[in-house]
Amino acid sequence: MDDLRHDPDYTLFRPILEKDRRFLWMVSVLVGLIGWSIYMYMRQWKYGLSVTGLNNNVTWGFYIINFVFFIGVSHAGTLISAILRLSQAEWRRPITRMAEVITAIVLMIGGIHPIIDLGRPDRLMNVFYYGRLQSPLLWDVTAITTYFTASTVYLYVPMIPDIALLRDRTTKFRWLYKFLSWGYRGTERQKHILERAMSILMVLVIPVAVSVHTVISYIFSMTLQSGWHSTIFGPYFVTGAIYSGTATLLVVMIAFRKMYHLENYLKEIHFRYMSILLLVFSLLWTYFTFSEFLTGVYGNEPMEMMVIRFKLTGAYAPYFWSMVTLNFLIPLIVLTNKKLKTIKGILITSIGVIIGMWLERLIIIVPSLTNTRLPLVVQTYIPSLTEWSLFIGGISIFCLMFLIFSKVFPLISIWEIKDGRAEGLEEAKGRLESYLPDQTLAEGRVQ
Amino acid sequence: MTKHEKVTPQIVLFLQIMSISLIWVLVVSVIWWVLNLISLSNYLHDAQNATLAISILIMPLFILLAGILTYVFVGLRRNRFEDDEHA
Repeated sequence: MDDLRHDPDYTLFRPILEKDRRFLWMVSVLVGLIGWSIYMYMRQWKYGLSVTGLNNNVTWGFYIINFVFFIGVSHAGTLISAILRLSQAEWRRPITRMAEVITAIVLMIGGIHPIIDLGRPDRLMNVFYYGRLQSPLLWDVTAITTYFTASTVYLYVPMIPDIALLRDRTTKFRWLYKFLSWGYRGTERQKHILERAMSILMVLVIPVAVSVHTVISYIFSMTLQSGWHSTIFGPYFVTGAIYSGTATLLVVMIAFRKMYHLENYLKEIHFRYMSILLLVFSLLWTYFTFSEFLTGVYGNEPMEMMVIRFKLTGAYAPYFWSMVTLNFLIPLIVLTNKKLKTIKGILITSIGVIIGMWLERLIIIVPSLTNTRLPLVVQTYIPSLTEWSLFIGGISIFCLMFLIFSKVFPLISIWEIKDGRAEGLEEAKGRLESYLPDQTLAEGRVQ
Repeated sequence: MTKHEKVTPQIVLFLQIMSISLIWVLVVSVIWWVLNLISLSNYLHDAQNATLAISILIMPLFILLAGILTYVFVGLRRNRFEDDEHA
């Protein structure tokens, strides 16, 4: 333990080893909020969906919006982490772990939402007994289960060397670290096994992640509902998912950088690179949104136009234009301006993108349901206190689980940082040399 | 192991064997569920081809994931005392 204090990466062990009053304070607030949301859900269990703002037209409200939103955020992790690892981007080292944790936690929360949305949750098992795979809803169940399993494995396997480090160098939770480290001692064979497993996982997890959000988009696009029946919904949803995930990752990075004093690990350059990614996805998202609306407007199909008008100039116009401002205008202004592109600027932009992407899910789901093809009276949807409480409960569970994780496991991959110092520099140099033209050959041609 | 440690290596080993077993229980359950869905679609003559296509995708994925985990767990445990030089 004492020699740990002299470790150059002691900062990364500190959250696990040292007691923190702020942690206890935050945990109690979050537990209180979760307790309140559990109470509200129990009330819903007792009285049914009548305690929500859902009605005959709008049968999917906050719960499904949050489901799509949370599953979208989960793309932060595994996808970004896998792509950065695969492309051997050296700056990934302090980022990947946080990204992977976000995925695992958020998927769990997102996956619960369709169950919350059930009026009769006691009938849940019918999905397993009498499910029919022709339904996109069941595709969702299978895709999310697969993605959750894959991303948990993808979080855990690269964590094993760090768990072994904690087992050998700390006294806290030793039994847990012993159990989870599988006797890892860093022998060449063990390293080889982990590398091999990680290589397979990082390739496997990308198509799984893409398929999950594509399948979620199918819940909407496979119906003939106005505003939903679109061929670009798959890539549109995936782009939005990665966009909201990147923003969430940036917020988490900034928050924990401040909380655990990780300034030496999460440097400005990491935020600069991540913000470029955020800007790229902002532009991609805008492109998809523009295409989606342009084709709708040009087609001028009466029902489609009713939904579009409802969004652009009708009751949902304030949400729509806020979404455009938060997802396109602010990122474009802040992230292309050197003076504004500070960590504070990136934080504000990222929070804006998270809100904007949540609004996007709201705008996709609710207006199409309020303006049905059936001759029904247009009913507006106003979420109830129960729905708001469960939404806040979901966010609280995310914060609590992330906090607890940070107290048991390092938020930044210690072995990857050490490996980067020991071997990464040489490796990167070698790689760079391999990209450049061979100097002797070039000189020979000149002679 | 220090005097204060209550969890013996045998308990750790037991927990590890249990966790590998549980992973395979999950895989078998998923496969059983998918097979149940196939038989149901067959019985109802309802989108059998689509059911088969989706099932063909799901089952190997779960087997692959469990296989990777088993490979990692067993491999790490087996090679835990191996000297770097002899590896």
